[in-house]
Amino acid sequence: MALCLLALPIFALLGIFSLKYRKLTKDSLECLFKTVTLRKCESGLDERIKARITGSLFKHSTKTAKFVYHYYKPLTWIFIILIIWSVYEGSVGIYNYSAYGNCNGPESTGFCALDPTGKNSKTSDLNMVVPEEIILPQLQEDDPLIGPQNTQLTIIEFGCYACPYTKRAEPIVRQVLEYYEGKVNIQFKTFIIPHHKDAFNAALAANCANAQNQYEVYHNALFAIQEGLNNASYEILASKLGLDSEAFSICMENQTYTSEINEDSLQGVDAGVIGTPTFFVNKRKIVGPKPFKTFKKIINQELKK
Amino acid sequence: MMLGYNVENIRENFPVLSKPIIYFDSACMSLKPKQVIAAILRYYEEFPACAGRSAHTFAKQVELEIAKARNEVKKLIHAQKDKEIIFTRNTTEGINLICNTLQLQKGDSVILTDKEHNSNLIPWLKKGIQVKIVPSNKDNTFNLEEFQNLFDKSVKLVSMVHVSNLDGVENPIKEISKIAHEHNAKVLVDGAQSVPSQEINVKKLGMDFLAFSGHKMLGPTGTGVLYGKEEELEKLDQFMVGCETVRDSTYTTYTKEFLPHRFEAGLQDYAGIMGLQEAARFLRRIGLKKIQKHEIMLNKVMTETLTHPSIELIGPVDPTLRSGIFSFNIKGMSPHEVSKILDTAKGIMTRSGAHCVHSWFNKHNLEGSCRASLYLYNTPQEVNIFCEEVQKLIHLT
Repeated sequence: MALCLLALPIFALLGIFSLKYRKLTKDSLECLFKTVTLRKCESGLDERIKARITGSLFKHSTKTAKFVYHYYKPLTWIFIILIIWSVYEGSVGIYNYSAYGNCNGPESTGFCALDPTGKNSKTSDLNMVVPEEIILPQLQEDDPLIGPQNTQLTIIEFGCYACPYTKRAEPIVRQVLEYYEGKVNIQFKTFIIPHHKDAFNAALAANCANAQNQYEVYHNALFAIQEGLNNASYEILASKLGLDSEAFSICMENQTYTSEINEDSLQGVDAGVIGTPTFFVNKRKIVGPKPFKTFKKIINQELKK
Repeated sequence: MMLGYNVENIRENFPVLSKPIIYFDSACMSLKPKQVIAAILRYYEEFPACAGRSAHTFAKQVELEIAKARNEVKKLIHAQKDKEIIFTRNTTEGINLICNTLQLQKGDSVILTDKEHNSNLIPWLKKGIQVKIVPSNKDNTFNLEEFQNLFDKSVKLVSMVHVSNLDGVENPIKEISKIAHEHNAKVLVDGAQSVPSQEINVKKLGMDFLAFSGHKMLGPTGTGVLYGKEEELEKLDQFMVGCETVRDSTYTTYTKEFLPHRFEAGLQDYAGIMGLQEAARFLRRIGLKKIQKHEIMLNKVMTETLTHPSIELIGPVDPTLRSGIFSFNIKGMSPHEVSKILDTAKGIMTRSGAHCVHSWFNKHNLEGSCRASLYLYNTPQEVNIFCEEVQKLIHLT
């Protein structure tokens, strides 16, 4: 019976494409039904499969063939359990992928067979250990907001101006803001990835622009020139955007906002952020540049609360 | 090796044997030599027409080839006349023809052995004819005494297998015919296994009818032969009728065709019959006595090598009594498992199951057996490989 149970879903799947397997599906169904109803499996399918497996092993190793022949029942049950487990895990993975853009859920950056390039989940990693006690990040008045000021929901984003994945999330963030116009805004917290050499200076520059109430436009411009970031580009950009160049230069030279930037990063560490971008929608975490539908699903749920 | 019998030369005639297989299922279906395949192709490529109808060149050529085929088959079984050879689709059709055309009355009975193929059991059961079964001896050989005891006035026919496809045991047809005729009963022989593998002389054996198949004697599938003594065929009613079976008809009457055409209704399988002719020629050229000796020689090697307490042989231990059949079970394994493992592991093709002799297996409360059937193209090397694999299987249990 176990073999028929094991064979049924496999043959049913293959039967979609081949007549041969449709016949075998019928046999396995008959075999299963008869065995369950305490009758003899007339098709002999279980016996045929067992013999075929044994025969194939026989070519290579008599001992292995003997082992399989004797223990085929427990082995079959192990396979059945593994298949059920695989089907369950696979289903969860597919659900996660359709809902969150990653098989492992919104919080994961792990490998997903449905997204092998990790387009939706890649982050610039810190390779750090996640703290045992998570302290969720708090909105802070001194951190700039993107979008309208007073909204029903504020998403906290831990990002890095030198991180390509944070940049990849930008259009999605824009889409979120447009879709939930007036209801949702974003608070961007800089999370410094040390191996991105321009990360700190870019964060510093964004804060200096914020000091001149030009945060959002400077923030967008930084991402626009991300590949060409260097020490000279911040002041050029400030000048182009019509900021007070002198004040901006002083701000940069004095590294006025160092402690604030470090504080943001520490908040991220406390919240278990290990890579950028990482978003917090209230207590819900989204890791990586997940598709819009992932944000939509979670935001809708949070807005209903 | 037998003088004048070169199995390697024989094998060269069988294209399929270039594959890495060991074919031990010839009792079910023999392989086909290239001469047979060529004859079939020749019909379709050179003169694909009707016989006995049109008068054009192609038609006349087909007619000639069919006549030659009939003559070749006649020679194969040493029949007296060409018209005693009726082409059928297979042994089953030949037996059904007799069952449906012999003048049997209610209360008449037919004697069968306890090892008949379904093809020589079911037709009688369906027709409602009483069957008397000859129980075999303990070693599955024919019990002549029990056979004789079954005769009474009701017995009108003895219908028996010549060589059993179950275990290869040959029934003494000559004695059977003699006894049957003494009791005024006719004799129909199922020669499906014997005609391909031994010299058959219908006159010496004394049977009235002999049915056999082309596909077991190197011929094409869908071909068979029913031999009948002319005087016995003349007495039979017609079976299937229509075109070819009548010489003339009105809206109310018809005139029967002469023998053998009155039993060959409709357009025949000309290509198949031509293939059958080549098969018969091939067998005669090699010599059926040599083929029989070769089979028995192989069976001796197999039997001697596979004598083991875990192997349950069906039929007598003496391989000379089992033709080219080695039917067996391994204790603790089902015959299907044995057959499938042999096929998967080494490409050894055997048959498993009840071999259409369900009645015998039911009587003996057995699921079936694994049957290795040997033929003219099998070699001692193949037998050795088979034996090695079966010996390994014994240790599997």
